[in-house]
Amino acid sequence: MKALGSSGWKGPVKFRMPTAENLVPIRLDIQSEGQRYKDAFTWNPSDPDNEVVVFAKRTVKDLKLPSAFITQIAQSIQSQLSDFRAFEGQDMYTGEKIIPIKLDLRVNHTLIKDQFLWDLNNFESDPEEFARTLCKDLGVEDPEVGPAVAFAIREQLYEIAIQSVASARESRLSKKGRRGSDHGSASKASGLSMDLVKLFSFKSSVVRKRKDLDVYEPVVDLLTSEEVDALEAREERHAR
Amino acid sequence: MAAKASDSGGSGEILPITPSLSETTSGVTAASQSTQPPSSTSDVDAVCVPSYSRWFSWTGIDDCEVRSLPEFFNSKSSSKNPKFYMYLRNSIIKQYRDDHPRKISFTDVRRTLVSDVVSIRRVFDFLEYWGLINHSSSSSAKPLKWDEKSAGDASSEPPTTVKETAKRICNGCKSICSVACFVCDKYELTLCARCYVRGNYRVGINSTEFKRVELSEESKKVWSEKETLQLMEAVMHYGDDWKKVATHVTGRTEKDCVSQFVKLPFGEQFVKESDSEDSLEAFDQIKGSADLESGGSDKEGSSPNKRMRLTPLADASNPIMAQAAFLSALAGTKVAEAAARAAVTALSDVDYEAEKNASGDPNRQEANGGEITNSKRAWADAKSLIQKEEQEVEGAIKEIVEVEMKKIRDRIVHFEKLDLEMERSRKQLEDMKNLLFTDQLNIFFHTRKARKSEDRVDVQT
Repeated sequence: MKALGSSGWKGPVKFRMPTAENLVPIRLDIQSEGQRYKDAFTWNPSDPDNEVVVFAKRTVKDLKLPSAFITQIAQSIQSQLSDFRAFEGQDMYTGEKIIPIKLDLRVNHTLIKDQFLWDLNNFESDPEEFARTLCKDLGVEDPEVGPAVAFAIREQLYEIAIQSVASARESRLSKKGRRGSDHGSASKASGLSMDLVKLFSFKSSVVRKRKDLDVYEPVVDLLTSEEVDALEAREERHAR
Repeated sequence: MAAKASDSGGSGEILPITPSLSETTSGVTAASQSTQPPSSTSDVDAVCVPSYSRWFSWTGIDDCEVRSLPEFFNSKSSSKNPKFYMYLRNSIIKQYRDDHPRKISFTDVRRTLVSDVVSIRRVFDFLEYWGLINHSSSSSAKPLKWDEKSAGDASSEPPTTVKETAKRICNGCKSICSVACFVCDKYELTLCARCYVRGNYRVGINSTEFKRVELSEESKKVWSEKETLQLMEAVMHYGDDWKKVATHVTGRTEKDCVSQFVKLPFGEQFVKESDSEDSLEAFDQIKGSADLESGGSDKEGSSPNKRMRLTPLADASNPIMAQAAFLSALAGTKVAEAAARAAVTALSDVDYEAEKNASGDPNRQEANGGEITNSKRAWADAKSLIQKEEQEVEGAIKEIVEVEMKKIRDRIVHFEKLDLEMERSRKQLEDMKNLLFTDQLNIFFHTRKARKSEDRVDVQT
């Protein structure tokens, strides 16, 4: 593929979340003494480490979990944080990537399905603000949906960032020439990214094709309690 | 099945709060209990906010918020801005108030706010500290800072460990003395009862050197009459030596003695001699201290008793001030005032000669020419200037008064002259009247004579 003059090659960037706030998505799923605790939230890695224990203690106290959970929660958070920090020194190539982000989550009674494009190069992007606006625009009443949406977006961005680090390492090892197009093709292996070139070439228009419209429209479903129970039972069966 | 965006349910409530909160406010009521119908602010429970949090307003940010949570206001990151802070703060408070009086927990809040959890925690702690959340009017007035070490509830008192300051540890067995202990001041030993009995002390010490000190709780707070009397005696004898005083007073530590002595009402002045003697001595001392900066040291020897008695009061680093303080306390306010005034005038007289004031100071003394510091000289300068001005003013007033008097005198003289004139003219008038009268009389007589002579003539012919 030709390297176009307009799409200059972007040098490697130090790993970080490609968002305005470098926040890490943390997922917890701890089972102990017959109780299961599942949670997902975002954490700021620049906060001091004692915050982890404080958070664990408060959560256990607020949710009235047995105190054995404190250490487990703290450990889980710490390990995810250190994984994140392990990536931090390394390079990643973001390329000219616009990726589709998919939302498919259920929070209490609200079901959200959505897909949209996200510019990975925009380091000023803010999933939190996106989530807030989404919930406001869709009139979502449950306030727990917002954080879940932000978390989902962050998780996907995190995944892609990790992959780009891996691909950067691969390309360095294979000692190929530094060409932006190569990285573009390497990242295509993830199967999801699109090339700006293709998207905004003068042959195609910016307006989305009709058949894609349904895919990119947000869908909010309010479930009844029975549907929720049914879904939960199904999930648990899958988990086992 | 699929609800389109335009048709989402239940968002019709309009609550009187800034628009950025709309999704959380209506959401809260739906989330908390699915069976309850969403009720807007129908609850009449008043939410009480402590008075030290009066600054809070929904739409504004106060200084204390900026100070306590600087991360939102230092513009280091574009998303951590004041607007975001207000979103967090207002959502938390709204959520709490919707469910008032139930206390809101951090986890409740962080699950509903789109943000990283540590920022939420900081805002939450800040609001809880200031009583804007989870404040119950029955709890103690002081807000308690969330202590990470205390795993207990934030609203309960942190476990206070009362440290007994007067706890005595036995020198012999290193255990805490409980009921009674034995103190030897000579070698600064404290022994518990057991060690004392066993003779667990150094070779050179006699058992008679020890004094028994009771450690029961009651004797700590209240000083009995006997103890107070002992204290006063001890102070009179030993003065500044609090160790000896403590030994004299059975059962009290040095600190206790000192603090009790300070608390004693000094109007009583158990140990004072006669007033006048004191005042003269006090005055001499002050004068002496005015002369020399450090020359007060030889005065110290003269009345050690008095000085030592009151050193607890005057704990100033400046020795002269300390001395002046205790002397003034000793001598009483009026005498001290007079003495101070005299000292002041004496000071000003030291370098400046006699032309200064004769303005009624009762105890004018010649000061021995000693050293005076620059500040004192400047102060004396100022004093003399003030006096000069006063005199000038007085002179001016005198002159004015004289002039006025002169004016009045002149007028009086003038009036007197006029008066004299009047008298004279009156007299003249009178004289003239008299003359006129005599003239008239003369004429009358003449006419009468003439008529008579006419009549005679008529008769003759």
